[in-house]
Amino acid sequence: MTLLKTYKKDFSSKNKPPVVSVVGISKKFPGSIALDGVDFTILEGEVHALLGENGAGKTTLVKILYGIYVPDRGEIYVRGRKAQINSPKEAIRQGIVMVSQVPQLIDKLTVAENLILGLEKYGFITRVGKVRYFIREKSREVGIEVDPDTEVWKLSYTQKQLVELLRALLLNAKVLLLDEAITFLPLIEKKKFYKFIRDFANKSGSVILITHKIYEALEVADRITVLRLGRVVGTVPRSKVSPDVVRKMMFAERSSQVTYERLPMSTPRESAALEISDLWVMGDHGDHAVRGVSLTLRAGEVMGIAGIAGNGQKELIQAIVGLRRVEKGRIRLYSEDITNRSVSKVRIRGVGYIPDQPAKYGLSLENSIEENLAMLPSLTNRLINWGSIRDLARKLIKEFNIMTPSPKTPVKFLSGGNIMKVLVSRELLVARRLLVAYNPTRALDEVTAIMVRKIIKEKASTEGIGVLVASEDLDEILQISDRIAVMNSGRVVRVFSSSEAVRDEIEKLMVM
Amino acid sequence: MDAASYILSVAPAFMAYYLTSLGQGFFEKSGVLNLSIDGVFVLGIAVAYAASIYSCSPWVGLAAAVLTAVVFGMLLTYVTTKFPVSHGAAGLSIMFLGYGLAGLVGVAARNTYNEMVVSGIYPQFTLPVTPIAKVLMFAIPVGLGILLYLLEVRTKLGAAVRAVGEDPHAATSLGIDVLRVRLIAAALGYSLIGAGSAGFLTWVATWSEGTGINHGWIAYAVSLAAGRHPLLTVGTAGAFAILATYMYTLQAAYNLSPEIAKMIPFIVAIGAMVTFMSTPLRKKLAPPQSLGRRFFKEERTV
Ligand SMILES: Nc1ncnc2c1ncn2[C@@H]1O[C@H](COP(=O)(O)OP(=O)(O)OP(=O)(O)O)[C@@H](O)[C@H]1O
Ligand SMILES: [Mg+2]
Repeated sequence: MTLLKTYKKDFSSKNKPPVVSVVGISKKFPGSIALDGVDFTILEGEVHALLGENGAGKTTLVKILYGIYVPDRGEIYVRGRKAQINSPKEAIRQGIVMVSQVPQLIDKLTVAENLILGLEKYGFITRVGKVRYFIREKSREVGIEVDPDTEVWKLSYTQKQLVELLRALLLNAKVLLLDEAITFLPLIEKKKFYKFIRDFANKSGSVILITHKIYEALEVADRITVLRLGRVVGTVPRSKVSPDVVRKMMFAERSSQVTYERLPMSTPRESAALEISDLWVMGDHGDHAVRGVSLTLRAGEVMGIAGIAGNGQKELIQAIVGLRRVEKGRIRLYSEDITNRSVSKVRIRGVGYIPDQPAKYGLSLENSIEENLAMLPSLTNRLINWGSIRDLARKLIKEFNIMTPSPKTPVKFLSGGNIMKVLVSRELLVARRLLVAYNPTRALDEVTAIMVRKIIKEKASTEGIGVLVASEDLDEILQISDRIAVMNSGRVVRVFSSSEAVRDEIEKLMVM
Repeated sequence: MDAASYILSVAPAFMAYYLTSLGQGFFEKSGVLNLSIDGVFVLGIAVAYAASIYSCSPWVGLAAAVLTAVVFGMLLTYVTTKFPVSHGAAGLSIMFLGYGLAGLVGVAARNTYNEMVVSGIYPQFTLPVTPIAKVLMFAIPVGLGILLYLLEVRTKLGAAVRAVGEDPHAATSLGIDVLRVRLIAAALGYSLIGAGSAGFLTWVATWSEGTGINHGWIAYAVSLAAGRHPLLTVGTAGAFAILATYMYTLQAAYNLSPEIAKMIPFIVAIGAMVTFMSTPLRKKLAPPQSLGRRFFKEERTV
């Protein structure tokens, strides 16, 4: 990880005034204590990373600063003055803007419409068209490409996050709360944003950066605060710590499970788990997103699909599980033609599926873990055996360390990463013959992410299932894949075997 | 009668249905399920009637109907947005409140009216119905409809109303005060509903207890049949107004039973909804995602 050495500068925090301080903040939710007496200070011109395992309380803390939650106890000071932040509107007034873990944009509105909502200088009768120019200008300034008139539902997850970042800039944020907002940006954009964040801080802005990538925190942050079970473990200057120290603070003894070594090759079987031949699939915008892809995935093999978001990976995967119409070409699952079969027909054949936007397409947030298990036809018959579902839920909660008050709590009350754990653990369970996944470890903390990768690999080699994993995280692709296919503009431009795969070369093909 | 006068005689019914359904559609875009419409519509008619009589001016009647409707609309909005109550229950309660108050207000006014008539005064409670006035009864509502449409698709307010109807939590996070936006939508929407009820009084030109009952629902159907689109509503409201104006003629001509005739608007509404849901219009005309959902900050549940 040598991304931005240039931006590494040692910032002493001695002579910077605090912009926002929280003192003794506590927040309880039914069945869980999210924050327990947290003290935290962000200085002017500082990038402050907030780290911690899934469910540690990071999101809750920034949501309190953004006025979404009101703390049970404790005080907030903005520039030395005690502040009551009761709504995001109030937070925006104070110059505090959050970019959420899950994009909080209105799908049916255009980008411009979404962005004008927070701009208080424009009255209600202002024409939306008025901000168009402003948006174009700002987006050029930071090098993001967005058409202000596109409706948000047409954007990819990454594009939505970029729009949210743009929004923070338009709102003239002085304190930027980034909740896992840049972790999954494509490399080029990510580099731009590291630079942007550094410049922003140099111009005396402040950034709270929540991330699960320790290296990312060490690259851009001046100080690091680690939360654990709702308490501050410690705040340390970046110059004084190594990744291992931070990891210990985050996970204690479990930190030894973290590894980035390439996982051992599995031994592919003779039979093909998935055969895709000359596949053409439409995208959302009326042109082909997948353009003549042919791939053969053998049973027991893990194939990674590398590529920058929006190059057809999502559409390819949706077509495989039956969520998107195949225009031309064939998909075979263990020699059986499943082209344009319905999702349930595909899934019942033992296909696990981890989608791009888990909270949206993978789970029903209003329902509990148990109900989210019972929903799958492959886990239940016509009659639901609630006893066995309950046992299964307990088992997954234990195995994946899912932090939840009970198996009956609606999933929407869990932290972002724990929601993802529910989905991933369920899909690993139902993938008896094939697993297709898009960013399977998005939002997971390091220990869990690596555990999931190991389980995937393990299932491939011992149970012989075929695994197709698309990911925007090249580290992930490199760690688990037996073969790597690089996708660009809807085509597979090259397939590497794991031994010949070189990071630089892959990256070049991705952006070519 | 010539063609022009056939068309013009539809004007009061058109004004009544179009304005009411226009207001209904706009208000519901903000995410509040509006089941009080029929009650407030009936109350608006009674208030227009009473205020006209007491003041001897149908314009005062119109203004009073608008004001009354706005008050009840904002009440419904406040209750459903500020507290975790069901939109359906709150809406129906206000509906019954409207029916009850309409009786009280209207009967008292009718007694006054009768006394005035005995002493030789005939207070005017209908809006003017000269041919020019009837042309205006088409033109002004359609003009308002176009304005409302532009407001909806072009302005920040329009975006805010749609935002709180789609996802009030995300809208909050984007910097919107949900209650405020919904109250504005209620004020605008319900002032149209109030004006529509005054138009209805002009159309039927008489008041007795129960006048207008079910016509609020018909206006709801008119709005639904057009997918709450202000401009498409011109078409559905026009069709329903023709149907309503010539109902008796139609019934006689085709020997329909009155029961069946009364069902026609609702059958047409369902038919229209099914039809547009199977076309590409589906996305544009889909109901607001959070319509009727309870909204309150997460932690207030604790
Ligand atoms: N609205 C809510 N209702 C109930 N419980 C909640 C709510 N929001 C958070 N919690 C609980 O508070 C705890 C902390 O959650 P939080 O979202 O702050 O974690 P996090 O550190 O952001 O984790 P992640 O890395 O998974 O995003 C979790 O146990 C979660 O279940
Ligand atoms: Mg979180």
